[in-house]
Amino acid sequence: MGQDGRIVACNEAAAAFGVVVGMLRSSAEAICPNVVTIVQDLSVEMARFEPVVQAIESIVPRVEVAEPGTMYLPIGGAVVYYGGEEDLCDRIDKELDSFGGDRRMGLAEGPFASYQAVRQTTRSHPRYIVDDDERFVANLDVASLGSDDLAATFRWLGITTLGDVAELPRDAIISRFGRVGLEAHRRAQRLDRSTHPRDIPEDQVVVSHFDPPIEDSERAAFAARNLAQRLVGNLSPHGVAPHRVIVTATAADGTEQKRTWRSADPFTERSLAERVRWQLRSWIEGVSGGIRGGLATLQLEPTDLSGSGRQMALVEDARAFEETQRVFMEVQAIAGRDNLLVGTPQGGRDPGEQMLWTRWGEEESVPERDPEAPWPGRIPSPAPALVPPEPVPFEVTWVEGIPEQVRLRSRWVPVLSWAGPWRRVGRWWDGEDSSDRYQIVTSAGAYLCEVREGRTYLMGVYD
Amino acid sequence: MVATIQHFVEASTFEHRDPEKISNVLSLAPGQIAGLTGIPGSGLTRIGMSLLAPHAVHGPLVYLDVRGWASPMAAWEVGIEPERLVVVRSSDIVSWSRIVATLLDGVYGVYAEVPAGLREQSLYKLAAKARAKRTPLVLRPVSGSLPSGIAHLNLEASEVLWEGAEDGHGNLTNRRTRLVASGKATRGMVRTIEVEDDGTNDLRVVPHMGTQETRAANRRNRAS
Repeated sequence: MGQDGRIVACNEAAAAFGVVVGMLRSSAEAICPNVVTIVQDLSVEMARFEPVVQAIESIVPRVEVAEPGTMYLPIGGAVVYYGGEEDLCDRIDKELDSFGGDRRMGLAEGPFASYQAVRQTTRSHPRYIVDDDERFVANLDVASLGSDDLAATFRWLGITTLGDVAELPRDAIISRFGRVGLEAHRRAQRLDRSTHPRDIPEDQVVVSHFDPPIEDSERAAFAARNLAQRLVGNLSPHGVAPHRVIVTATAADGTEQKRTWRSADPFTERSLAERVRWQLRSWIEGVSGGIRGGLATLQLEPTDLSGSGRQMALVEDARAFEETQRVFMEVQAIAGRDNLLVGTPQGGRDPGEQMLWTRWGEEESVPERDPEAPWPGRIPSPAPALVPPEPVPFEVTWVEGIPEQVRLRSRWVPVLSWAGPWRRVGRWWDGEDSSDRYQIVTSAGAYLCEVREGRTYLMGVYD
Repeated sequence: MVATIQHFVEASTFEHRDPEKISNVLSLAPGQIAGLTGIPGSGLTRIGMSLLAPHAVHGPLVYLDVRGWASPMAAWEVGIEPERLVVVRSSDIVSWSRIVATLLDGVYGVYAEVPAGLREQSLYKLAAKARAKRTPLVLRPVSGSLPSGIAHLNLEASEVLWEGAEDGHGNLTNRRTRLVASGKATRGMVRTIEVEDDGTNDLRVVPHMGTQETRAANRRNRAS
């Protein structure tokens, strides 16, 4: 299951029940009640994908990874060498036989067309070779541009295929849709590979040396973020951003590993840092023996620079953004990685359950519980502003089930009013007890508390 | 020519409230400092976050959490987008000043709980830096109050009244907090204001509720 709660992959057993990629988790669980859902972890996927990439590299050099599970290969020379497109595909298939799983191939003149070709494949027809790129791209639906809003607008204007988009005047597209429209127009005209020719400063390679060498994924992730930030930061004053980056890791014993990453949209600090982190983790924890002696040098080399650069919101400015990132990294170094957090709303009955913490700079965690679900027994808003990490014992005097007094520090304060209880039925099959939650108001403030097994606990303060 | 290969192995939008402008009495311009005094439960966290909420449109805000109890839900409810609030947890009095000083360099607003026992000199230096960097800063001492001359706006909670909960019925809906405001923001006067929070909108200052007292009147009252 991906970040958006939709299924990104399923096995044959689940597919037999009717589970398909793109389906909501709740729908999948409805048609297949015993389905086991695993949250997607792209760094783990990359670690498993790395051997596949290495196997392909033994047949076709200069592989470009787009994301874990997807790669681009320049196959002009390989097609001639292996005697044709089908023969090359057979050779790749044979090489990947030992990995099992489901693999699909799309062949075309450009990367956009080849990506669209692979999307035309099915489990029973895993290859799609495009004979005529121009006709193929022209017949693609506007949804293939990857922007729902743009596709909806095009449809409303009566433009349904990329052929129609390609025929529109470029100036009109730019004035109506801006950068997004221009990118769509370029793809419709099959210009996705070429980038804007600009005067790009030479030697924008960024390198970090580590002494002692880095041997764990956590530190490597931190280094990846630093270096990605430096690279994008160096390029942004020139108004460019990389579409393709070569990641090179040198081990303490001198061995070198390289991988090219490619993105349809220009890399941002965050997206680039993620990819470098995935790559380092796959090298460090991968089956190929890791980075012997630890990571001594990490290098990022941008190629295929785009003129579009990073787009900021109107009221933001690029320098301020970079400064904020730098400040957060510095604070992270002072306070510790676990102490710089961003909260995300999620479902739950208690305030403590309704927020999901993610360390700053890391991928946003996937909410385990749907915030849109009804959650019977949920405490109504407003939310308490202070919530202890775990409920803490709270002294309340109860008379016939009614709260009379609350102990605040050293003094007893009378209860002015109260609401509740909101019953919470625990997971009895896991040995969890039921509890009652109350809102208690005193002259000093209001508190949310829980009564469990005859004892009262403080769950939140309405501060 | 290019091939794309895919290899598979088996294997909310948060509904926040529309931010409205807080009354002029409860506003904090860039570089201004607010000091909040009152025990937990008096509603000052929400008030502090409301003061900073307008600045979240420009960039991220930080809640420096000394007690480890900060919940971003209240901040989301006053109109701060979840991704615009970063919570920094640090109970270490030694690094506290360094963290705040660093944050003032690059974020768009800081709500900082002030640990007990912090040197006054540190607070004066941080206040000067906040002014110089034009970063709004809300200081909430965990115990006691701020030294004089630091805050542009001092708010001290004197009374809090809740509505909605009645002998086991209903639920908390509406809070009225009576605040004693002082500092440059009130032009030297000590002003009593009442702030209403119904949990569905930003805080509102209840009109015609406050009384204004001049410093001289205050002195007379205290003397009598």
